[in-house]
Amino acid sequence: MTSTTTAAIIESPLVPVHTTGWQSGLGNLVRKELGQWWGTRMWWVQTLIWVLLLNGVATVVMLEGAGMPPGEVVTEAVQTFLLMGAMTIGIGIVLTVQGAVIGEKESGTAAWVMSKPASRLSFALAKVIAYSVGFLATALLIPSIVFVAQAQFLLPAPLDYGKFALAVSIVALSVLFYVVLTIALGCMFKGRGPVAGLGIGLVLVGQFFKGMLPLPLVMATPWLLGDVATSFALASPPEFNRMIPIIVTAAAAVALVGVAIWRFQREEF
Amino acid sequence: MRSVMKTKVVQNQSDPVAAGGTVAESVINTVGLTKTYGTVNALQGIDLAVPRNSIVGFLGPNGSGKTTAIKLLLGLSRPTAGKATLFGLDSVEDSLAIRSRVGYLAQDPRFYTHLTARETLAFTARFFYRGPAEAIRARIDETLELVGLEDKADRPTKGFSGGERQRLGIAQAQINYPDLLILDEPAAALDPVGRRDVLDVMERLRAYTTIFYSTHILDDVERVSDYVAILDHGRMVASSATAVLLDGDSTTYELTIRGDEQAAVRALRSHPWVSDITTATQNGSLALTISVTDVQAAESELLRSVIANDDVVVTAFGRRHFNLEDVFLQLVKEHGE
Repeated sequence: MTSTTTAAIIESPLVPVHTTGWQSGLGNLVRKELGQWWGTRMWWVQTLIWVLLLNGVATVVMLEGAGMPPGEVVTEAVQTFLLMGAMTIGIGIVLTVQGAVIGEKESGTAAWVMSKPASRLSFALAKVIAYSVGFLATALLIPSIVFVAQAQFLLPAPLDYGKFALAVSIVALSVLFYVVLTIALGCMFKGRGPVAGLGIGLVLVGQFFKGMLPLPLVMATPWLLGDVATSFALASPPEFNRMIPIIVTAAAAVALVGVAIWRFQREEF
Repeated sequence: MRSVMKTKVVQNQSDPVAAGGTVAESVINTVGLTKTYGTVNALQGIDLAVPRNSIVGFLGPNGSGKTTAIKLLLGLSRPTAGKATLFGLDSVEDSLAIRSRVGYLAQDPRFYTHLTARETLAFTARFFYRGPAEAIRARIDETLELVGLEDKADRPTKGFSGGERQRLGIAQAQINYPDLLILDEPAAALDPVGRRDVLDVMERLRAYTTIFYSTHILDDVERVSDYVAILDHGRMVASSATAVLLDGDSTTYELTIRGDEQAAVRALRSHPWVSDITTATQNGSLALTISVTDVQAAESELLRSVIANDDVVVTAFGRRHFNLEDVFLQLVKEHGE
């Protein structure tokens, strides 16, 4: 440091950041990413989409079940909300997050941020944190609260709120998985095509073909998380061990983070 | 001119910017820095030393490897071979520590479009400072003023013109009082007034920091740079103090005469140390470019031998001086051959 610069800093009351290592710049980047969610119209647009979609369809199911046995209406409404939530939020995440890393690589903002004392891990992790918080809140938590309120007024039989909360937390794992997957793909590829294609492909293949594939294979995917969540909410254990998809999805998310970091460390800007 | 230029520039190895400069005094030091992309050799064994508190212009035609070199220095990409150190720290292993002391302006700076200029600077400042908020605000105001963006401070950068983005880029690059400013084409997107302002800012910052900047605007280099490094096709073709580079060729003289021109040329050719004379007519006068092999003899006898003839009037005489464009074009041409 030049003596003049040192003097300028000594005279300045600015307190330097001393963070080093993998967490360099993390707080600042998380703050910026969260600001992009909560400081713009993004949060209410997302909330509106998911409430209209998930709670709108749930309302239709609840209203159409007027002549059905009360228990069946509850089952139908819970199943619709959780299964549809697990699938559509996955697609929504891939569509929204696909440009999070790729867009910054293309525009040059990633290179700009990486020219500051920020680690590459912080750059990717900040996006995982902010998009997870954003989607968990706007696509899952708020619609779930609205669903509980709807259930109070529209369901003919009571909903077990504890079990429903547990079920929502299983769908939350699915949300985290798809956020991590999309960020990881963004770190691995240079274009949006492979990111969106692989991400949406994974969601849709699971939705349409999981019944045709061998169960042991399907269990090693996040595709069954909606079914696991429904079984917890309705206290109806499925034919398979419910813990396997949970553990496999969590492990896959951790592995994806590892691969993404490894790849992103080698990224040339 | 060619051989002389080589002597003056390329073989000027004692110059701090050239290979072998004193590492301890250098803010940037590269040894054999090489980068290849597949079969393309973007940089081929660059040796460079940038002295502390200097302004170094990094010149080269488009595609010569300037931006590649800058990205290697910042750790944005990894060298295929060779090594770069900044402040004695390795550009790959110690990249974070280096970046905490560097300010960088990209060639086409891009920022988060939903943030205002002030928010962009606050975001940048938080990488370096954790408070107090009041001091950070003051620093932001100071940098906005420095680049003349006070009136646009609270506008989202989405609507910024290229010139405004460039100004914001300069502001964010120096918000942390960097020990080294690396600017990639800092004046490229600016109009003449903007360019002048940027050069003024660089002049003002000279006392506080080292500035390493790439450009293809030769006038700017001539105006503010202490040293020049010229890159072509990934190779360093020259590096020297700007003054030395422009000082010209001490073995070539320029003489402008009127009157009995033939007699003057004959008189000059009679000297054994005159190796070559080229002539050109200029507004009714004759301009001679005289190459010599003995500078001392030329200094004492060249002019005298011409004015000895009463029919010859000398209107100009002196050593040949170059502008950077001459030097640059010549070097690039030589390298191309």
